[in-house]
Amino acid sequence: MNSQSRSNQSNSLAPHRITAQRMKPDRVGRFLRLGLFVAFLGIANATPSMAAPLQLPAIVEPASQEHHVGKIVFVELVTPDLAAAKKFYAGLFGWTFRDIQAGGTKYAEAFLDGRPVAGLIHKDVPAGEHRQPSWLSFFAVGDVDAVKKVALQNGAKVLFEPHNVPDRGQEAVFADPQGAVFVVLASSTGDPPDVLANPGEWIWSSLITSDPDADAAFYQKLFNYEVFELPANPGVQHLLLASDDYARASVNTLPVNRPKAHPHWLNYVRVEDAVKMSAKVVALGGRVLVEPRVDRHGGKVAVVADPLGAPFGLLEWPDTESKEVPSE
Amino acid sequence: MNNILLRGLVLALGVGTLTVLLAGCIVPAGGYGYDDGVGVGVDYYEPYGAVYGGWGPGYHVAPFRGDGHRGAVGGGTHAYRSAPASRSMPSLPSHGGGGGGRGGGGGGRR
Repeated sequence: MNSQSRSNQSNSLAPHRITAQRMKPDRVGRFLRLGLFVAFLGIANATPSMAAPLQLPAIVEPASQEHHVGKIVFVELVTPDLAAAKKFYAGLFGWTFRDIQAGGTKYAEAFLDGRPVAGLIHKDVPAGEHRQPSWLSFFAVGDVDAVKKVALQNGAKVLFEPHNVPDRGQEAVFADPQGAVFVVLASSTGDPPDVLANPGEWIWSSLITSDPDADAAFYQKLFNYEVFELPANPGVQHLLLASDDYARASVNTLPVNRPKAHPHWLNYVRVEDAVKMSAKVVALGGRVLVEPRVDRHGGKVAVVADPLGAPFGLLEWPDTESKEVPSE
Repeated sequence: MNNILLRGLVLALGVGTLTVLLAGCIVPAGGYGYDDGVGVGVDYYEPYGAVYGGWGPGYHVAPFRGDGHRGAVGGGTHAYRSAPASRSMPSLPSHGGGGGGRGGGGGGRR
């Protein structure tokens, strides 16, 4: 009886004891599971912003089989005020824009008459820094790593290591031996064809540098250019870089009376009237840096800056032969 | 038991809070090279203070137009290899393409 009673008592008490013993671990487990769930939510929330790449458009659509090593195939504005830049270039050239955003990066693809002409990327200037926005020149290459090797062997500095940009290809950013910044791009969809640019599109590029001779040799090593000497005033050089029997860019001596100027690439947009377009630049808040002047091809050239200070050129390329005679 | 419960609770909340904070603080690189945090991004901007101008008479930047132009008679030695003197100088294309390509840069068969 006693035994039975103890047994009954034991049986009646046991479930309570088991419940009590299980309850606390269960609560601990529940809280742990809750913590893990919260952690999962956090990671799930963070992962897309960490992993989402900026989907930049291909430079050629549909893809082509053309490859033009040494051709400047794309230009991209790095600016601290994307909205202001878009407003300016829309007003000046009639460009339209498609915004692309991933994470904290803001990008705008520029179009003219539905055709893509440039990219604009937002980047803040760090507080306390005095820097000038600029248009970056992208040179077509076949192998970015091979170009990097040659560039480093010849005095260039890597500003951004070779990296893949989804849909666009592989690119890397360098400063040449004199400090001019440029980008090389192995486009995954081929290079644009060699055709005459329309007004409002990029038509020409110049390297304005402190040592044209050395820089021409540098870029020749990178892109296997033919180098031609053009007539120039004493003390300055005007070289022409060519590939595939096409003129690709000029190399010019940095004017000696501008001691604060620095070597840089300058890209030109084709315009029908450089004087009118220069006035329009000013009306839109930009500046004229070099007044329109007749160049050796018989059209006018001007250098202007957008309201944020990014310089670029305006170049007339008349449809007929030699419009005006340049001053020598 | 209370200690275990408390530790579990604190651990769970700690992990959760830390993860959420990390998620909020991440500045994504976006897979693109201009914000990689390696301190070179500012180099994409040109140094401030560049003063344009000084393009005196005869300071030309454009290519010749059309066929038949020869390079200047050079002389002296250069770091680069000059194109043969017999070579006619290339220019920009004479034909339009009706669009299709992005970006620009020169180009052009004589």
